[in-house]
Amino acid sequence: MGIVIAVISGKGGVGKTTAVANLGLGVAMNGKRCAVVDFDIGQRNLDMILGLENRVVYDIVQVMDGEASLKQALIKSKVDDNLRFLAASQSKDKRVLNSKKVQKLVKELKDNFDYVILDSPAGIESGFEHTIEFADAAIIVVNPEVSSIRDADRAIGILDSKSQKVKDGGEVAKYLIINRIVADMVQSGEMLKSDDILDILNIKLVGKVPEDSGVIDASNQGKPVILDKHSIAGQAYKRISARLCGKKIDMKDVEVTDSSLFKKLAGIFK
Amino acid sequence: MQSKQYSVKVYECGIDDEERFIAFFNTNYALFKDHLIVINGYLSQNIKNYLNSKSLTFINNIKLPRGRSRKALEEEFSIQKRECDIDRIIAQTELEKLSNRLQNNLSVIDEIVRSGRVIEIDGDLLLLNRVNSGATIYTSGNLIITQLVEGSIRCDGNFMIIMASSKANIIFHGVEIDSKFLEDRLNRVELKGEEIVINPVLKRRQIGYCNSSN
Repeated sequence: MGIVIAVISGKGGVGKTTAVANLGLGVAMNGKRCAVVDFDIGQRNLDMILGLENRVVYDIVQVMDGEASLKQALIKSKVDDNLRFLAASQSKDKRVLNSKKVQKLVKELKDNFDYVILDSPAGIESGFEHTIEFADAAIIVVNPEVSSIRDADRAIGILDSKSQKVKDGGEVAKYLIINRIVADMVQSGEMLKSDDILDILNIKLVGKVPEDSGVIDASNQGKPVILDKHSIAGQAYKRISARLCGKKIDMKDVEVTDSSLFKKLAGIFK
Repeated sequence: MQSKQYSVKVYECGIDDEERFIAFFNTNYALFKDHLIVINGYLSQNIKNYLNSKSLTFINNIKLPRGRSRKALEEEFSIQKRECDIDRIIAQTELEKLSNRLQNNLSVIDEIVRSGRVIEIDGDLLLLNRVNSGATIYTSGNLIITQLVEGSIRCDGNFMIIMASSKANIIFHGVEIDSKFLEDRLNRVELKGEEIVINPVLKRRQIGYCNSSN
Protein backbone atom coordinates (compact mmCIF):
# COMPACT_ATOMS: atom_id res chain seq x y z
CA MET A 1 0.00 0.00 0.00
CA GLY A 2 1.50 3.27 -1.10
CA ILE A 3 1.22 6.86 -0.02
CA VAL A 4 -0.77 9.46 -1.93
CA ILE A 5 0.78 12.91 -2.09
CA ALA A 6 -1.14 15.85 -3.55
CA VAL A 7 1.01 18.68 -4.84
CA ILE A 8 -0.86 21.95 -4.38
CA SER A 9 -0.12 25.66 -4.41
CA GLY A 10 -3.27 27.75 -4.55
CA LYS A 11 -1.72 30.27 -6.92
CA GLY A 12 -0.87 29.23 -10.46
CA GLY A 13 2.53 29.38 -12.07
CA VAL A 14 4.62 28.72 -8.99
CA GLY A 15 6.07 25.50 -10.35
CA LYS A 16 3.66 22.78 -9.23
CA THR A 17 3.82 20.72 -12.38
CA THR A 18 7.59 21.06 -12.62
CA ALA A 19 7.85 19.91 -9.01
CA VAL A 20 5.61 16.90 -9.70
CA ALA A 21 7.64 15.85 -12.73
CA ASN A 22 10.95 16.18 -10.91
CA LEU A 23 9.86 14.62 -7.64
CA GLY A 24 8.17 11.74 -9.47
CA LEU A 25 11.34 11.04 -11.36
CA GLY A 26 13.49 11.61 -8.27
CA VAL A 27 11.46 9.17 -6.17
CA ALA A 28 11.59 6.60 -8.99
CA MET A 29 15.35 7.05 -9.23
CA ASN A 30 15.48 6.18 -5.51
CA GLY A 31 14.11 2.77 -6.44
CA LYS A 32 10.47 3.34 -5.47
CA ARG A 33 7.54 2.52 -7.74
CA CYS A 34 5.96 5.85 -8.44
CA ALA A 35 2.92 7.07 -10.36
CA VAL A 36 2.42 10.70 -11.27
CA VAL A 37 -1.13 11.74 -12.11
CA ASP A 38 -2.18 14.94 -13.81
CA PHE A 39 -5.41 16.10 -12.17
CA ASP A 40 -5.57 19.32 -14.11
CA ILE A 41 -8.45 18.19 -16.30
CA GLY A 42 -8.76 20.32 -19.40
CA GLN A 43 -5.30 21.82 -19.09
CA ARG A 44 -2.90 18.97 -19.45
CA ASN A 45 0.80 19.79 -19.33
CA LEU A 46 2.58 17.29 -17.15
CA ASP A 47 2.94 15.05 -20.22
CA MET A 48 5.00 17.72 -21.98
CA ILE A 49 7.31 18.30 -19.07
CA LEU A 50 7.91 14.57 -18.73
CA GLY A 51 8.50 14.31 -22.48
CA LEU A 52 5.65 11.82 -22.92
CA GLU A 53 3.42 14.02 -25.05
CA ASN A 54 3.19 11.69 -27.98
CA ARG A 55 2.60 8.54 -25.90
CA VAL A 56 -0.76 9.54 -24.45
CA VAL A 57 -3.51 7.22 -25.65
CA TYR A 58 -5.95 7.01 -22.77
CA ASP A 59 -6.48 9.65 -20.11
CA ILE A 60 -7.67 9.78 -16.52
CA VAL A 61 -11.31 10.48 -17.44
CA GLN A 62 -11.46 7.43 -19.68
CA VAL A 63 -10.06 5.30 -16.85
CA MET A 64 -12.59 6.65 -14.38
CA ASP A 65 -15.42 6.08 -16.80
CA GLY A 66 -14.27 2.53 -17.42
CA GLU A 67 -13.45 3.08 -21.09
CA ALA A 68 -9.89 1.96 -20.47
CA SER A 69 -8.15 0.03 -17.71
CA LEU A 70 -5.60 1.72 -15.49
CA LYS A 71 -2.91 -0.56 -16.86
CA GLN A 72 -3.65 0.55 -20.42
CA ALA A 73 -3.64 4.22 -19.53
CA LEU A 74 -0.45 4.31 -17.45
CA ILE A 75 2.51 5.43 -19.54
CA LYS A 76 5.98 4.16 -18.73
CA SER A 77 8.67 6.79 -18.45
CA LYS A 78 11.49 6.74 -20.98
CA VAL A 79 14.00 7.61 -18.29
CA ASP A 80 13.17 5.37 -15.34
CA ASP A 81 11.32 2.07 -15.27
CA ASN A 82 9.86 2.78 -11.85
CA LEU A 83 7.95 5.82 -13.05
CA ARG A 84 4.46 5.71 -14.58
CA PHE A 85 2.36 8.59 -15.76
CA LEU A 86 -1.40 9.04 -16.04
CA ALA A 87 -2.43 11.93 -18.24
CA ALA A 88 -5.25 14.37 -17.71
CA SER A 89 -7.95 14.77 -20.29
CA GLN A 90 -7.41 17.71 -22.58
CA SER A 91 -10.90 17.83 -24.07
CA LYS A 92 -13.12 17.48 -20.99
CA ASP A 93 -13.33 19.87 -18.05
CA LYS A 94 -13.21 19.54 -14.27
CA ARG A 95 -16.94 18.90 -13.90
CA VAL A 96 -16.56 15.30 -15.05
CA LEU A 97 -14.84 14.38 -11.77
CA ASN A 98 -16.80 13.06 -8.83
CA SER A 99 -15.72 11.81 -5.44
CA LYS A 100 -16.64 8.16 -5.98
CA LYS A 101 -14.73 7.88 -9.25
CA VAL A 102 -11.71 9.68 -7.79
CA GLN A 103 -11.69 7.48 -4.71
CA LYS A 104 -11.78 4.30 -6.79
CA LEU A 105 -8.95 5.48 -9.00
CA VAL A 106 -6.79 6.67 -6.11
CA LYS A 107 -7.28 3.37 -4.29
CA GLU A 108 -6.28 1.36 -7.33
CA LEU A 109 -3.14 3.48 -7.78
CA LYS A 110 -2.33 3.19 -4.08
CA ASP A 111 -2.48 -0.58 -4.28
CA ASN A 112 -0.03 -0.71 -7.17
CA PHE A 113 2.57 1.92 -6.30
CA ASP A 114 4.78 3.04 -3.40
CA TYR A 115 4.24 6.69 -4.19
CA VAL A 116 1.31 8.29 -5.99
CA ILE A 117 1.90 11.97 -6.75
CA LEU A 118 -1.13 14.00 -7.83
CA ASP A 119 -0.63 17.24 -9.72
CA SER A 120 -3.41 19.56 -8.57
CA PRO A 121 -4.86 22.30 -10.74
CA ALA A 122 -4.23 25.86 -9.58
CA GLY A 123 -7.00 27.55 -7.65
CA ILE A 124 -9.28 26.06 -5.04
CA GLU A 125 -12.26 24.87 -7.06
CA SER A 126 -13.65 21.37 -7.47
CA GLY A 127 -10.62 20.06 -9.35
CA PHE A 128 -8.40 21.04 -6.44
CA GLU A 129 -10.82 19.59 -3.91
CA HIS A 130 -10.91 16.24 -5.70
CA THR A 131 -7.13 16.14 -5.75
CA ILE A 132 -6.78 16.63 -2.01
CA GLU A 133 -9.83 14.63 -1.02
CA PHE A 134 -8.13 11.24 -0.73
CA ALA A 135 -4.54 12.32 -0.26
CA ASP A 136 -2.47 11.09 2.70
CA ALA A 137 -0.04 13.97 2.46
CA ALA A 138 0.31 17.23 0.63
CA ILE A 139 3.27 19.11 -0.72
CA ILE A 140 2.63 22.81 -0.89
CA VAL A 141 4.70 24.68 -3.44
CA VAL A 142 5.18 28.40 -2.91
CA ASN A 143 7.29 31.19 -4.33
CA PRO A 144 8.84 33.65 -1.88
CA GLU A 145 6.26 36.35 -2.52
CA VAL A 146 3.19 37.46 -0.56
CA SER A 147 0.48 36.56 -3.07
CA SER A 148 1.75 33.02 -3.41
CA ILE A 149 1.97 32.67 0.38
CA ARG A 150 -1.56 33.91 0.95
CA ASP A 151 -3.03 31.60 -1.71
CA ALA A 152 -1.09 28.67 -0.29
CA ASP A 153 -2.38 29.58 3.17
CA ARG A 154 -5.93 29.44 1.84
CA ALA A 155 -5.27 26.13 0.09
CA ILE A 156 -3.91 24.65 3.34
CA GLY A 157 -7.03 25.87 5.14
CA ILE A 158 -9.25 24.03 2.65
CA LEU A 159 -7.02 20.97 2.82
CA ASP A 160 -7.45 20.93 6.59
CA SER A 161 -11.23 21.09 6.34
CA LYS A 162 -12.17 19.11 3.25
CA SER A 163 -9.82 16.17 3.03
CA GLN A 164 -11.30 12.76 3.79
CA LYS A 165 -8.51 11.97 6.23
CA VAL A 166 -9.39 15.04 8.32
CA LYS A 167 -13.08 14.17 8.20
CA ASP A 168 -12.17 10.74 9.58
CA GLY A 169 -10.42 12.45 12.48
CA GLY A 170 -6.88 12.20 11.13
CA GLU A 171 -4.47 14.78 9.84
CA VAL A 172 -2.97 15.27 6.42
CA ALA A 173 0.81 15.61 6.60
CA LYS A 174 1.86 18.89 5.00
CA TYR A 175 5.26 19.67 3.53
CA LEU A 176 6.47 22.91 2.09
CA ILE A 177 8.66 23.50 -0.95
CA ILE A 178 9.85 27.04 -1.48
CA ASN A 179 10.50 27.35 -5.19
CA ARG A 180 12.37 29.89 -7.29
CA ILE A 181 14.48 31.43 -4.55
CA VAL A 182 16.86 34.13 -5.73
CA ALA A 183 19.60 34.35 -3.10
CA ASP A 184 20.58 37.94 -3.97
CA MET A 185 17.02 39.16 -3.58
CA VAL A 186 16.57 37.37 -0.26
CA GLN A 187 19.81 38.92 0.98
CA SER A 188 18.73 42.40 -0.09
CA GLY A 189 15.33 41.94 1.55
CA GLU A 190 13.31 42.08 -1.69
CA MET A 191 12.26 38.47 -1.34
CA LEU A 192 10.67 36.84 1.69
CA LYS A 193 13.00 34.81 3.88
CA SER A 194 12.12 31.16 4.30
CA ASP A 195 11.89 31.65 8.08
CA ASP A 196 9.18 34.26 7.58
CA ILE A 197 7.29 31.97 5.21
CA LEU A 198 7.48 29.13 7.71
CA ASP A 199 6.21 31.48 10.43
CA ILE A 200 3.16 32.30 8.35
CA LEU A 201 2.33 28.85 7.02
CA ASN A 202 3.48 26.87 10.06
CA ILE A 203 4.16 23.60 8.23
CA LYS A 204 7.22 21.44 7.80
CA LEU A 205 9.81 22.49 5.24
CA VAL A 206 10.90 19.71 2.90
CA GLY A 207 13.12 21.72 0.60
CA LYS A 208 14.14 24.99 -1.01
CA VAL A 209 14.63 25.21 -4.75
CA PRO A 210 16.69 28.07 -6.17
CA GLU A 211 15.69 29.91 -9.32
CA ASP A 212 17.35 28.25 -12.29
CA SER A 213 17.03 29.30 -15.91
CA GLY A 214 17.67 25.69 -16.92
CA VAL A 215 14.19 24.71 -15.71
CA ILE A 216 12.38 26.33 -18.64
CA ASP A 217 14.66 24.74 -21.19
CA ALA A 218 14.32 21.37 -19.46
CA SER A 219 10.52 21.67 -19.53
CA ASN A 220 10.54 22.62 -23.19
CA GLN A 221 12.66 19.63 -24.05
CA GLY A 222 10.62 17.27 -21.89
CA LYS A 223 13.61 16.31 -19.78
CA PRO A 224 13.00 17.18 -16.10
CA VAL A 225 15.77 19.31 -14.68
CA ILE A 226 16.62 16.66 -12.08
CA LEU A 227 18.41 14.79 -14.87
CA ASP A 228 20.81 17.70 -15.35
CA LYS A 229 23.73 17.09 -12.98
CA HIS A 230 24.90 20.70 -13.17
CA SER A 231 21.56 22.35 -12.47
CA ILE A 232 21.16 23.83 -8.98
CA ALA A 233 17.37 23.35 -9.14
CA GLY A 234 17.90 19.75 -10.24
CA GLN A 235 20.18 19.15 -7.25
CA ALA A 236 17.55 20.64 -4.96
CA TYR A 237 14.86 18.32 -6.36
CA LYS A 238 17.23 15.39 -5.91
CA ARG A 239 17.60 16.25 -2.22
CA ILE A 240 13.86 16.66 -1.77
CA SER A 241 13.14 13.33 -3.49
CA ALA A 242 15.62 11.58 -1.21
CA ARG A 243 13.95 13.20 1.82
CA LEU A 244 10.55 11.98 0.59
CA CYS A 245 12.04 8.48 0.47
CA GLY A 246 12.96 8.75 4.13
CA LYS A 247 16.63 9.65 3.79
CA LYS A 248 18.12 12.20 6.14
CA ILE A 249 19.67 14.99 4.11
CA ASP A 250 20.69 18.33 5.56
CA MET A 251 18.90 21.42 4.35
CA LYS A 252 21.16 23.36 1.98
CA ASP A 253 21.07 27.09 2.47
CA VAL A 254 20.23 28.29 -1.01
CA GLU A 255 19.47 31.76 0.31
CA VAL A 256 23.13 32.63 0.79
CA THR A 257 24.97 33.93 -2.24
CA ASP A 258 28.56 32.91 -2.86
CA SER A 259 29.69 36.49 -2.38
CA SER A 260 27.98 36.84 0.99
CA LEU A 261 29.47 33.53 2.05
CA PHE A 262 32.83 34.95 1.10
CA LYS A 263 32.10 38.06 3.12
CA LYS A 264 31.27 35.93 6.13
CA LEU A 265 34.52 34.01 5.76
CA ALA A 266 36.45 37.24 5.33
CA GLY A 267 34.78 38.52 8.50
CA ILE A 268 36.24 35.64 10.49
CA PHE A 269 39.79 36.67 9.66
CA LYS A 270 39.35 40.34 10.43
CA MET B 1 4.01 45.19 64.69
CA GLN B 2 2.26 44.69 67.98
CA SER B 3 0.03 47.42 69.29
CA LYS B 4 -2.53 48.03 71.97
CA GLN B 5 -5.24 50.54 72.24
CA TYR B 6 -6.84 51.66 75.48
CA SER B 7 -8.50 54.62 77.17
CA VAL B 8 -6.86 56.42 80.07
CA LYS B 9 -8.38 58.60 82.69
CA VAL B 10 -6.84 62.01 82.81
CA TYR B 11 -6.82 64.61 85.56
CA GLU B 12 -5.94 67.98 84.14
CA CYS B 13 -5.17 71.06 86.25
CA GLY B 14 -3.08 74.15 86.60
CA ILE B 15 -1.18 75.07 89.76
CA ASP B 16 -1.68 78.42 91.44
CA ASP B 17 -0.83 77.50 95.02
CA GLU B 18 1.53 74.61 95.52
CA GLU B 19 0.55 73.91 99.12
CA ARG B 20 -3.13 73.77 98.32
CA PHE B 21 -2.37 71.45 95.43
CA ILE B 22 -0.38 69.09 97.65
CA ALA B 23 -3.07 69.16 100.29
CA PHE B 24 -5.76 68.44 97.68
CA PHE B 25 -3.79 65.50 96.30
CA ASN B 26 -3.09 64.12 99.74
CA THR B 27 -6.76 64.00 100.58
CA ASN B 28 -7.89 62.70 97.18
CA TYR B 29 -4.92 60.40 96.53
CA ALA B 30 -7.08 57.30 96.33
CA LEU B 31 -9.13 58.96 93.62
CA PHE B 32 -6.19 60.05 91.43
CA LYS B 33 -3.71 57.25 91.80
CA ASP B 34 -4.84 55.55 88.55
CA HIS B 35 -5.11 58.80 86.59
CA LEU B 36 -2.69 60.39 84.22
CA ILE B 37 -1.95 63.80 85.67
CA VAL B 38 -1.63 66.63 83.21
CA ILE B 39 -0.25 69.87 84.57
CA ASN B 40 -0.83 72.99 82.53
CA GLY B 41 1.47 75.93 83.06
CA TYR B 42 4.55 76.05 85.24
CA LEU B 43 5.63 72.86 87.01
CA SER B 44 8.14 73.38 89.84
CA GLN B 45 10.77 70.90 90.98
CA ASN B 46 9.01 70.73 94.32
CA ILE B 47 5.77 69.44 92.78
CA LYS B 48 7.69 67.05 90.54
CA ASN B 49 9.37 65.55 93.57
CA TYR B 50 6.03 65.29 95.34
CA LEU B 51 4.31 63.53 92.38
CA ASN B 52 7.28 61.16 92.00
CA SER B 53 7.20 60.32 95.68
CA LYS B 54 3.52 59.40 95.30
CA SER B 55 4.51 57.43 92.10
CA LEU B 56 1.92 59.24 90.02
CA THR B 57 2.36 59.45 86.25
CA PHE B 58 2.36 63.01 85.07
CA ILE B 59 3.09 65.12 82.02
CA ASN B 60 3.45 68.82 81.64
CA ASN B 61 1.92 71.16 79.05
CA ILE B 62 0.49 68.76 76.54
CA LYS B 63 -2.52 68.99 74.33
CA LEU B 64 -4.44 65.77 74.54
CA PRO B 65 -6.75 64.66 71.74
CA ARG B 66 -10.26 64.78 73.01
CA GLY B 67 -12.95 62.34 71.91
CA ARG B 68 -16.27 63.61 70.63
CA SER B 69 -19.48 62.95 72.36
CA ARG B 70 -21.00 59.51 71.92
CA LYS B 71 -23.89 60.95 69.93
CA ALA B 72 -21.65 62.70 67.42
CA LEU B 73 -19.61 59.54 67.03
CA GLU B 74 -22.65 57.43 66.33
CA GLU B 75 -23.90 59.90 63.74
CA GLU B 76 -20.59 60.01 61.93
CA PHE B 77 -20.36 56.25 61.96
CA SER B 78 -23.80 55.83 60.44
CA ILE B 79 -23.00 58.34 57.63
CA GLN B 80 -19.79 56.48 56.91
CA LYS B 81 -21.60 53.20 56.83
CA ARG B 82 -24.20 54.52 54.40
CA GLU B 83 -21.55 55.89 52.01
CA CYS B 84 -19.63 52.66 52.20
CA ASP B 85 -22.79 50.69 51.37
CA ILE B 86 -23.45 52.87 48.33
CA ASP B 87 -19.84 52.42 47.13
CA ARG B 88 -20.10 48.69 47.59
CA ILE B 89 -23.34 48.47 45.60
CA ILE B 90 -21.90 50.57 42.78
CA ALA B 91 -18.72 48.47 42.68
CA GLN B 92 -20.74 45.27 42.71
CA THR B 93 -23.00 46.28 39.84
CA GLU B 94 -20.01 47.53 37.82
CA LEU B 95 -18.19 44.28 38.46
CA GLU B 96 -21.24 42.28 37.49
CA LYS B 97 -21.56 44.26 34.28
CA LEU B 98 -17.88 43.67 33.55
CA SER B 99 -17.90 40.00 34.39
CA ASN B 100 -21.03 39.52 32.31
CA ARG B 101 -19.09 40.80 29.34
CA LEU B 102 -15.83 39.19 30.37
CA GLN B 103 -16.98 35.66 30.85
CA ASN B 104 -19.67 35.59 28.24
CA ASN B 105 -18.98 32.50 26.17
CA LEU B 106 -15.21 32.68 26.37
CA SER B 107 -13.82 30.75 23.41
CA VAL B 108 -10.24 29.61 23.27
CA ILE B 109 -8.74 28.78 19.88
CA ASP B 110 -5.24 27.45 19.46
CA GLU B 111 -4.84 26.98 15.76
CA ILE B 112 -3.43 29.12 13.03
CA VAL B 113 -6.21 31.14 11.39
CA ARG B 114 -5.48 30.77 7.72
CA SER B 115 -6.39 32.95 4.79
CA GLY B 116 -10.06 32.81 3.83
CA ARG B 117 -11.26 31.64 7.24
CA VAL B 118 -13.90 33.75 8.98
CA ILE B 119 -14.38 33.34 12.72
CA GLU B 120 -17.41 34.99 14.29
CA ILE B 121 -17.63 34.84 18.06
CA ASP B 122 -20.53 36.13 20.11
CA GLY B 123 -18.59 36.71 23.31
CA ASP B 124 -14.92 36.76 24.22
CA LEU B 125 -12.11 35.12 22.32
CA LEU B 126 -8.65 34.08 23.40
CA LEU B 127 -6.61 33.17 20.33
CA LEU B 128 -3.18 31.66 20.88
CA ASN B 129 -1.97 31.60 17.30
CA ARG B 130 -1.44 33.73 14.21
CA VAL B 131 -4.11 35.42 12.13
CA ASN B 132 -2.83 35.25 8.57
CA SER B 133 -3.43 37.71 5.78
CA GLY B 134 -6.91 37.20 4.31
CA ALA B 135 -8.49 35.80 7.48
CA THR B 136 -11.24 37.64 9.37
CA ILE B 137 -12.15 37.58 13.05
CA TYR B 138 -15.22 39.18 14.56
CA THR B 139 -15.98 39.25 18.29
CA SER B 140 -18.81 40.98 20.10
CA GLY B 141 -16.82 40.67 23.32
CA ASN B 142 -13.22 41.15 24.31
CA LEU B 143 -10.40 39.83 22.23
CA ILE B 144 -6.90 38.69 23.08
CA ILE B 145 -4.57 37.41 20.37
CA THR B 146 -1.11 36.40 21.52
CA GLN B 147 0.53 36.10 18.10
CA LEU B 148 0.92 38.39 15.11
CA VAL B 149 -2.20 39.56 13.29
CA GLU B 150 -1.98 40.11 9.54
CA GLY B 151 -5.66 39.69 8.72
CA SER B 152 -8.81 41.64 9.58
CA ILE B 153 -10.14 42.14 13.09
CA ARG B 154 -13.51 43.52 14.17
CA CYS B 155 -13.89 43.83 17.93
CA ASP B 156 -16.83 45.37 19.79
CA GLY B 157 -15.80 44.38 23.32
CA ASN B 158 -14.48 46.48 26.18
CA PHE B 159 -10.91 45.84 25.23
CA MET B 160 -8.64 43.92 22.94
CA ILE B 161 -4.99 42.96 23.33
CA ILE B 162 -3.15 42.35 20.08
CA MET B 163 -0.01 42.81 18.03
CA ALA B 164 -0.65 43.74 14.41
CA SER B 165 1.52 43.97 11.33
CA SER B 166 1.21 46.86 8.94
CA LYS B 167 -0.86 44.64 6.60
CA ALA B 168 -3.56 44.11 9.21
CA ASN B 169 -6.94 45.81 9.21
CA ILE B 170 -8.07 46.46 12.76
CA ILE B 171 -11.48 47.90 13.60
CA PHE B 172 -12.48 48.54 17.21
CA HIS B 173 -16.07 49.71 17.76
CA GLY B 174 -16.28 50.83 14.15
CA VAL B 175 -13.06 52.85 14.32
CA GLU B 176 -10.13 51.81 12.19
CA ILE B 177 -6.95 51.67 14.24
CA ASP B 178 -3.69 52.45 12.52
CA SER B 179 -1.34 49.52 12.89
CA LYS B 180 1.54 51.84 13.77
CA PHE B 181 -0.03 52.08 17.23
CA LEU B 182 -0.06 48.30 17.52
CA GLU B 183 3.57 47.52 16.82
CA ASP B 184 4.62 46.62 20.34
CA ARG B 185 4.75 42.99 21.34
CA LEU B 186 1.24 43.30 22.82
CA ASN B 187 -1.00 46.36 22.91
CA ARG B 188 -4.16 46.98 24.88
CA VAL B 189 -6.86 48.88 23.06
CA GLU B 190 -9.73 49.81 25.33
CA LEU B 191 -12.78 51.96 25.44
CA LYS B 192 -12.69 54.56 28.24
CA GLY B 193 -15.89 56.54 28.15
CA GLU B 194 -16.05 57.88 24.60
CA GLU B 195 -12.32 57.57 23.98
CA ILE B 196 -10.26 54.72 22.63
CA VAL B 197 -7.03 54.36 24.60
CA ILE B 198 -4.07 52.33 23.35
CA ASN B 199 -1.31 51.25 25.72
CA PRO B 200 1.57 48.82 25.25
CA VAL B 201 1.28 45.79 27.51
CA LEU B 202 4.54 44.20 26.45
CA LYS B 203 7.27 46.17 24.74
CA ARG B 204 8.83 44.73 21.66
CA ARG B 205 12.25 43.33 22.35
CA GLN B 206 14.91 45.77 21.23
CA ILE B 207 16.49 43.19 18.99
CA GLY B 208 13.46 43.50 16.77
CA TYR B 209 14.54 46.95 15.74
CA CYS B 210 18.09 46.02 14.90
CA ASN B 211 18.74 46.01 11.21
CA SER B 212 21.81 44.30 9.92
CA SER B 213 24.07 47.05 8.71
CA ASN B 214 26.64 46.55 6.05
